Amino acid sequence: MKQKQDRRTFLKGALTCAAASSTLIAAGCNNRKLEGGGEEMSARWNEYFKKNYRLMTPEEKEETVRRLEQLAKLDYDVDVNVETTPPKKNVLYGYAFNISRCEGYMDCVEACVKENNLDRKSKTQYVRIFEMENGQMDITTGNGKYFHEVPKEDHFYMGIQCFHCEQAPCVKACPTKATWKEPDGIVVVDYDWCIGCRYCMAACPYFGRRFNWHDPEVPKEEINENQHYLGNRMRKKGQMEKCTFCIQRTRNGKLPACADACPTGSRVFGNLLDPNSEIRFVLKNKKVFRMKEELGTDPKFWYFID
Amino acid sequence: MKYFKTGIPILLVLTGTMIVLSGCDGASGHQGVMETIKAANAPVEMIKATHEIPPEPLVRVSEEYQGGIFYTQARKDKMERFECSSCHTDDGATINDTREAVHGNIKLNHGAVTNPDACDTCHNMSDRNYLATEAVAKIDFDHSYQLCGTCHFRQKKDWVGGAHGKRIQNWAGKRAVLNCASCHSPHSPRFAKRWPATFSPPDDVLADKVEE
Amino acid sequence: MLKTFKKELVPFIRDALKWNFSGGLGYQIYLSILFFFMVVGFYAFTIQLREGLAATGMSDIISWGLYISNFTFLVGVAAAAVMLILPAYVFKDKDLHKVVIIGEGVAVGALVMCLLFILADLGGIIKAWHLTPAIGLFNWPSSILAWDVIVLNGYLALNVLVPAYILFCHYHGREPVAKRYRPFVFLSIFWAVAIHMVTAFLYEGLPARPFWNNPLLGPRFLASAFAAGPALITVVLIVIQSKTVFKVDSQIFNKLRIIIVVAGSVNLLMLFSEIFKEFYSPTHHSLSAVYLFFGLKGHNSLVPWIWTSIVLNLGSIVTLGFNPWKNNPKMLMPVCITLFIAIWIEKGMGLIVPGLIPSPLGEIANYTPSWVEIGVTVGILALGIFVVTMLIKPALAIEQRYEEQNS
Repeated sequence: MKQKQDRRTFLKGALTCAAASSTLIAAGCNNRKLEGGGEEMSARWNEYFKKNYRLMTPEEKEETVRRLEQLAKLDYDVDVNVETTPPKKNVLYGYAFNISRCEGYMDCVEACVKENNLDRKSKTQYVRIFEMENGQMDITTGNGKYFHEVPKEDHFYMGIQCFHCEQAPCVKACPTKATWKEPDGIVVVDYDWCIGCRYCMAACPYFGRRFNWHDPEVPKEEINENQHYLGNRMRKKGQMEKCTFCIQRTRNGKLPACADACPTGSRVFGNLLDPNSEIRFVLKNKKVFRMKEELGTDPKFWYFID
Repeated sequence: MKYFKTGIPILLVLTGTMIVLSGCDGASGHQGVMETIKAANAPVEMIKATHEIPPEPLVRVSEEYQGGIFYTQARKDKMERFECSSCHTDDGATINDTREAVHGNIKLNHGAVTNPDACDTCHNMSDRNYLATEAVAKIDFDHSYQLCGTCHFRQKKDWVGGAHGKRIQNWAGKRAVLNCASCHSPHSPRFAKRWPATFSPPDDVLADKVEE
Repeated sequence: MLKTFKKELVPFIRDALKWNFSGGLGYQIYLSILFFFMVVGFYAFTIQLREGLAATGMSDIISWGLYISNFTFLVGVAAAAVMLILPAYVFKDKDLHKVVIIGEGVAVGALVMCLLFILADLGGIIKAWHLTPAIGLFNWPSSILAWDVIVLNGYLALNVLVPAYILFCHYHGREPVAKRYRPFVFLSIFWAVAIHMVTAFLYEGLPARPFWNNPLLGPRFLASAFAAGPALITVVLIVIQSKTVFKVDSQIFNKLRIIIVVAGSVNLLMLFSEIFKEFYSPTHHSLSAVYLFFGLKGHNSLVPWIWTSIVLNLGSIVTLGFNPWKNNPKMLMPVCITLFIAIWIEKGMGLIVPGLIPSPLGEIANYTPSWVEIGVTVGILALGIFVVTMLIKPALAIEQRYEEQNS
């Protein structure tokens, strides 16, 4: 009996060793400490070999979520909740930005960084605000680096983020189908499927995508624990990321963090398929335009003027 | 030469397939978002939000928007000294003495420069618990949008429709929006100049270079 | 059948290895130097693996740099083998037929470098298996990058298998069966055009980047490739002529020179056509070209490079055109190297970096390759040269022996 036990422990140890060495390879010379034993090894191993999100069965989704939560505990020491909330039926998200009302306070940028666990080290920002001189409408003439009291005389402000194009050039470019448009119109990235070739970045005419040049750093106490698989869960180096209209919020009926934080009400978000929604009111009653519409990208982000 | 002659048609066929295959993926047969919107005319069933908006007093707006009834943030619970009638009694003498102490912080900056508003432009002078316009004698503070809308009728129309102002927390579920005074100080409605909440770093400066 | 094949394969490989590593002191030093750079490159790459691509000079604005520049240029070098195969097989040119094998060796080396540059540029290199059809998920036919993966690997296979088959037969003193390999030779002619056109489509198909979104890009890629590739092959042939017993007919140099001059002139013509379009009536879309040739808002790191490139390009094409030294290899070599470098600048960094500047939002960043990036690049180049050497050396030995046997 005892002998049998010993053999079992030995076998278990041998297996752990095997898993450990293979995971080391899989982790790509990752300098993260490998504690936590065999369970962690197998979690990392299975994470490496998992499928593209769109091909996962509900059970597989559940398993990877469990693993991700477990690894988040080990890597960042936080208890996160990773959702896989599917798109709502009869919903197509759209966004409108009021250029006559935005005052350039950048509360939206700050809220986005916090909500989406964006890298603080390189100051990654999905939302950018450009200060534009009156008399110009070309974003390239604007100043995205302003830092002075706002609003500035004779200037207006234009917000930029991913426009969730219906004909998204990034989706077309991606060689591994790691980025796609969800049925509710949100263009998402499967971070773990992305190989980091950055072709989508070159293809985007709106500078809507960001790359993790190094492992992103978020102070532990600032990590937003309400996460979505396709949204604000923790990313790693070498992965592409982008604005997801705060998928972890919007799929639960909340406004994106930028719209919720805006102190001037310049940001209108809603369901394009609902004729009574605010966004539809804007499209119907306001003079709107879309950026670089001539490129045929068909963005779901409009600018309007009061 | 034999191979060469068969090769050219093969090349042409391959190029053709490439263009057709890679092109049709996006372009053909796909509806643009404007067509999708135009086709979506039927009212959709109310989509529920998973999270209710934070509990706070709401009032039902006296008008309806295109989607029916909606709510706005109440105002009275946020006013420090409501009810006004607790001070503004008929005893005028005490009021005049404490005017500076109680309302001295109010800098009225509303209306045209040449013809600025005064207290009685909006406040009901006989019943201080209410607002008033020339047309309507008593307007409840919770329904101040009725007052604002008399001059700012365009903004009010946009507010009812959804192009002005914003919803509280949710885009789905029952429609609850901020009221005018949630964002604009009624006495000085223009937003103040201030420093932005953050900034964008120069493009080619990666963090490690910043730290140096 | 299989057994005899096995029996024949073992000595083939053994002899190939023997020929590869035997040589004079000079050759051993040459190999050591290559090996040293490969080790440096590998070390630099481990740094990049550990720190992520932050170890390079790239940023969100200039998201492609030295790696992709070299990749783009080397695809052209690989495609240029067709300039030997086409006359040799289609026009039955005897002289060029003799050196076809060298062109193919260079092509394989260039392709290996291409694939390594792509891998080095990936953020998640360990996830590269996602690109494998069937195992991973391949965005085919929509993604041009997916097409590029197919055509590059296909071309590599063609350029490895066909010469390997011919050499294998020659090694055993047999004449290769034409029916077995000639179809693949002709396929490789079209495939060579395809790899370079598809690589051009990679950039050409992006409306987001007006500098690249230009129908002339594909043809220009081919023209510059058919100048730079044969220039490199000329250099390799001159080295072979001076360092080995293998005889290279001087006629070959003349033929290669004519190919280079014609292709190089067409390339320059198209370059001037592009410059005309950008500067005669400048639009917002011309800003990349302004950045490249004159600098933009104080950012001008590429300006000296591109003018150097244009001067070298013009100078070497004119020199090769008038041919004052009558194909004297001693003079041909520096001119070919000059042309090669000129096109490397123009089609490498001179094409990739300005395409990303200014960003779609009009922002300008600086890009200087980091030491890690340069180390990896040098390592991959050394590895490529090593591969070319390892392929050409036994090939020449086998061909030499086969010729002697048959004459």
